[in-house]
Amino acid sequence: MILDILKYSVNNLFHRKLRSFLSILSILIGVTAIYALISFGQGINAYMDGFAQEMGTDKVFLMPGGGLTQAPGTSNILFSEDELDFVRKINGVDEASGMMITNGKVKYKDYKEKYPFVIGMSTDSKEKKIIEEMFAGIEIIQGRTLKKGDLLKATLGYSYIIQDRMFKKTMSVGDKIKVNDIEIEVVGFYEEVGNPGDDSNVYLSQEGFTEIFDIEDFEYIYVRTAYDQSPTDVSANIKEKFRKHRNQKEGEEDFQVQTFEDMMAIFTNIILVLNGVLVIIALISIIVAAINITNTMYTSILERTQEIGVMKAVGAKNKFILLIFVIESGLLGLLGGTIGVILGYGIAKLGGIIAAMNGLSMLRPGFPWWLTTGCLLFAFLVGAGSGYLPAKQASKLQATDALRWE
Amino acid sequence: MLSDYLIFIVKGLARRRLRSWLTIIGIFIGIAAVVSLIGLGEGLRSTINDQFGFVGADVIVVTASGGLGPPGTGVVDPVTEKEIKAIEKIPGVEGVTGRIIESAKIVFNNKAGFGFAASMPDGEGRELIEDVLNMKSIKGRMLKDDDSGSVFIGYAFYEDDETYDKIVDVGSKIEILDKEFKVIGIMEKKGNFQFDGAVFMNEDDLRDLVDRQGDDYDLIPVKFNTNLDVSKIQMDIEKKLRKIRDVDIGEEDFSVQTPTSVIESVNETLLAVQIFIYIIASISLLVGGIGIMNTMYTSVVERTKEIGIMKSIGAKNRTIFILFFVESGLLGSVGGIVGAILGYIGATSLAYIGSIALGSDLISAHISWQLFVGSILFSFIVGSFFGTLPAWKASKLNPVDALRYAK
Repeated sequence: MILDILKYSVNNLFHRKLRSFLSILSILIGVTAIYALISFGQGINAYMDGFAQEMGTDKVFLMPGGGLTQAPGTSNILFSEDELDFVRKINGVDEASGMMITNGKVKYKDYKEKYPFVIGMSTDSKEKKIIEEMFAGIEIIQGRTLKKGDLLKATLGYSYIIQDRMFKKTMSVGDKIKVNDIEIEVVGFYEEVGNPGDDSNVYLSQEGFTEIFDIEDFEYIYVRTAYDQSPTDVSANIKEKFRKHRNQKEGEEDFQVQTFEDMMAIFTNIILVLNGVLVIIALISIIVAAINITNTMYTSILERTQEIGVMKAVGAKNKFILLIFVIESGLLGLLGGTIGVILGYGIAKLGGIIAAMNGLSMLRPGFPWWLTTGCLLFAFLVGAGSGYLPAKQASKLQATDALRWE
Repeated sequence: MLSDYLIFIVKGLARRRLRSWLTIIGIFIGIAAVVSLIGLGEGLRSTINDQFGFVGADVIVVTASGGLGPPGTGVVDPVTEKEIKAIEKIPGVEGVTGRIIESAKIVFNNKAGFGFAASMPDGEGRELIEDVLNMKSIKGRMLKDDDSGSVFIGYAFYEDDETYDKIVDVGSKIEILDKEFKVIGIMEKKGNFQFDGAVFMNEDDLRDLVDRQGDDYDLIPVKFNTNLDVSKIQMDIEKKLRKIRDVDIGEEDFSVQTPTSVIESVNETLLAVQIFIYIIASISLLVGGIGIMNTMYTSVVERTKEIGIMKSIGAKNRTIFILFFVESGLLGSVGGIVGAILGYIGATSLAYIGSIALGSDLISAHISWQLFVGSILFSFIVGSFFGTLPAWKASKLNPVDALRYAK
């Protein structure tokens, strides 16, 4: 029975090839856009999750007030070595490490200088683990990491070993660069992070950083909390102790403490909201497509009025007629959805490749199974839904009127 | 003759009322989406443009390159007195001075906020800055040369108490980077968060406060004769600075920005985002267009006999084409008119909701008459474009076949 209906529907769709094609085209465009957009949102989410897992959720950051709204390297509020020691001793803090950061002028051979972030990290062996965790699984792929006693040595981000990205020529271990006119030897390169900012960082030892920039204080302090304590509690504890240490009243702090999870949540939320807005805009086209399908189905029913009359005269029930037309329009939707998913997959893949070529490999699409099935189901439901009203009208036709209709 | 066409077409559309309506709805949803998104996008752009003029309108700004914070800060080779002296002598330059800008924690009423502290130079430089930034006090007075320990503050401190639970007024004491200052005046509202949220103090005070001695500056505002060609003055300044900073063309470690170029760089990024959103929004317009095509094909098939009759009594191919072409164009433009009106209402109400929800006027709708008229015109074009093929098909029908055609 269902098989018969399917056969009948497909035959009918095929019979009005052009009109079916146009209806399918209108829905597939929207599905393509939605599939591609969501796959990017999912991909970025997965990237952030991976990042968070490598870094561990047991991290807490201490940073200058004003927080993320302030560009790194421009803050007047910094943390001293003594203050870092103080943080280390706070209950619940397992390990802490400071990070210096500023804008530096980097020159390589005669190429035009660049102004990336220069970061000063601890080379103390005790802090080695927390620093590795801070890099969230990003590892050295050429040369070595910085070690104790490396004064005028640096490790560089991935962009330096890609031709034309930072400098015209690819660098290699042992090359000399000038950071603020002081010559530095490059000892290693990190693998790709996937965003142009982090991939162009220059990493120095804290001693080297102080030597070049004459800055001794930290802009950020990274804290690993003890395994048996909740990072949220530790973060509140640090906030209170540190405020008292700095002799500041509550609400007057010039610093802020945030758990890594909170920071990630803010970032992920922004991405989800942006992605959501785009998807909603793309959904408008699906509404228009649904209207097109309704229109096609009304026409189709009008054309087949006599046919419906015949069917009813030989005993077809209202329900049967309804089913025929709903399935027909559902098929239109499903067909559009299938082609849309295939096209969307192709476009997202292509977009990911283009982004990666431009140093933005964090913008890679993800294709969870629910996205594909969801899009197909959605397209079918939109089709069936927009066919419902016309189908209802068809099923209500009086056999005698329908037969008489011209 | 033309009115005959129109009457015929409108009658035809009215006869197939449901189908015509559905087609029009398809188009107007698309147009409404595009109009309201463009309106909101333009509104956002103009708000952002207003917000980004830290530098004032009729002023060229020279900064060293490489910083990421407020203009000119955190750079490696800052601009200094030397550059100021050099720029002074360039023809067309009417005045030049240096400023430093620091981000600062500001404490008042036991609450901390963050803003910018900007320096005011002494003497002529002060007049120059007051002039180019059009600084006026609405309460109290502006800074004078030996006002040590006093600040002139932006309107935001006076306007709302969100950050500090209390408005800052003339005579209030505020702590900037842990040092106490007395507020001597409030600046007239600029409608720009950088200005309105900034505190101004004399250069010596600010240098002492952040322990920054010497003659380096974050930015150099240059007042120029507005009757002269600004790009010529800009080029002269660039040439001079290349010489004294000893860099080659294309390797400048500084930037000379004219009032328009500051805004341009912001607009470039914004434009890319806007275009992306518009593309996605116009997908629905495309889909609406396909809907018109579908309706028109159906309409041609239904009226095959009619076309046959018209042709047999002498209608030319051209006439048939025009009939169907104008019909689809009409579908498009009716959809466009309704869509433009709905888009206008949609954008305005979204902006209204947004401004209430966010408590700021960052979201506003800017729908120019060009956008309004343009979108209606565009929907007419979409309608006729997608109607071309069906109309062509209709005009090519053979009268004998068409008359013989049975449903």
